[in-house]
Amino acid sequence: MAPAGIQAGPFDLGASSAQGASPIQQLIRHWMNERHAPDILPIQEQLLASILDHIRRQSEAVQLIRSDPGASQEEHFRIVLVQTEIERIKFIVRSYLRTRLFKIEKYARYIVSNVDIQTRISASERTYASKQARILDNHFWVTVLQSLPEAQSHLDDTPIFMPPMVTEPDKSRAVFVHALKQCPPVILPDGSSLEMAKDHISLVPFSAVENLILREEVELV
Amino acid sequence: MAEARQFGDLATQLVLESRRSTATDTLLKYNDSLVRSIIREQRDLERAADPLVQQSLDAPEGTPPPPGLIIIQTAINRNKRCLLAYHSHRVERFRDMYWAVGGALPHILSNADIRSKLSPHEVDYLRQYHDSVMEYRADLGTNELDIMAGIERPIKDLNVLVKVVKDCGVIQTELGSIDFKKGQRFMVRRADIEHLIVQGYLEEIV
Repeated sequence: MAPAGIQAGPFDLGASSAQGASPIQQLIRHWMNERHAPDILPIQEQLLASILDHIRRQSEAVQLIRSDPGASQEEHFRIVLVQTEIERIKFIVRSYLRTRLFKIEKYARYIVSNVDIQTRISASERTYASKQARILDNHFWVTVLQSLPEAQSHLDDTPIFMPPMVTEPDKSRAVFVHALKQCPPVILPDGSSLEMAKDHISLVPFSAVENLILREEVELV
Repeated sequence: MAEARQFGDLATQLVLESRRSTATDTLLKYNDSLVRSIIREQRDLERAADPLVQQSLDAPEGTPPPPGLIIIQTAINRNKRCLLAYHSHRVERFRDMYWAVGGALPHILSNADIRSKLSPHEVDYLRQYHDSVMEYRADLGTNELDIMAGIERPIKDLNVLVKVVKDCGVIQTELGSIDFKKGQRFMVRRADIEHLIVQGYLEEIV
């Protein structure tokens, strides 16, 4: 066997953490939640860092074995499997981050004025949000607002019967949730309460299950 | 319909363009003249509103504002929203375009057909957008993960058989550097050349 063993990789589904889910299973869950949630969920910085770190180490190990002329046919075959798996995991990480970027662009102006949401995103995402908000404001200014009469050239109108000018996440959007364990009852918008047993699947407004998602008692499907 | 044009007709035309753009999934040419006409209408409306505003200020307290003023203000608000909606709709299309070619801005800007449809301000916007994305990418600080690559389909194979459609010069790959010349075929690591497929230099053979 080559020096840097790639047999017991980090992507081994048998590896288990405190919650009984491997880092990859956790990543997949956070990725699916992020894809389905209308709002931006807390960034999983630690998880991402550890996965990227694993990817880096695995790639190094692969390089090492590849350049070893003594590596056997079987090892080369394993390398292909590991490389494919690495690419597939990179795909998920990428999709996860890009989903967040998409939402950050969409809600950029809301994010810069909302302290709560800022705690849920990473430092580079915060920079990105404020830059996005700035260039969009600037674009509106040079194309439209600067040509309008003074009284109309602002971006914070609050006319009655019109939606606000700042796009906010629609937390009332319906999502499918899958209970991972017995959940405490949640209050639905109509006042009734819903108690989900393990493996129960339900269609509810995002706002009703927001806290359950944060506590990882349910996942979005 | 009478000849007379109502306030807001132009703005309706403008948002209709956005709808057509979405419905046909194409980028339409920036409608500079229509945008200008609506901005002119906004100035006319503002002028028409001024005396009414003055009149309602002079009126004793508690008098409701003149109905004319409410109509004008509604028209102003609506026009403004339509103008902003039109521009923001276009911006969203640019973002989609940008990511669809893996962030290759020169690829978009050198395309004469696309370029002719953009206003100068929109070109500026795309440049700033690109800068912002590049800054984020640098912040990630990892060489392992290319944030710009495709997220539509997870890969099934490491390698891919490609046909060269356009010369793209010498590219560094895992197998060494390859000089891609039109008409040739190669079996290469997908991750190495994915961006060339996206930008239309290579074609995947399935």
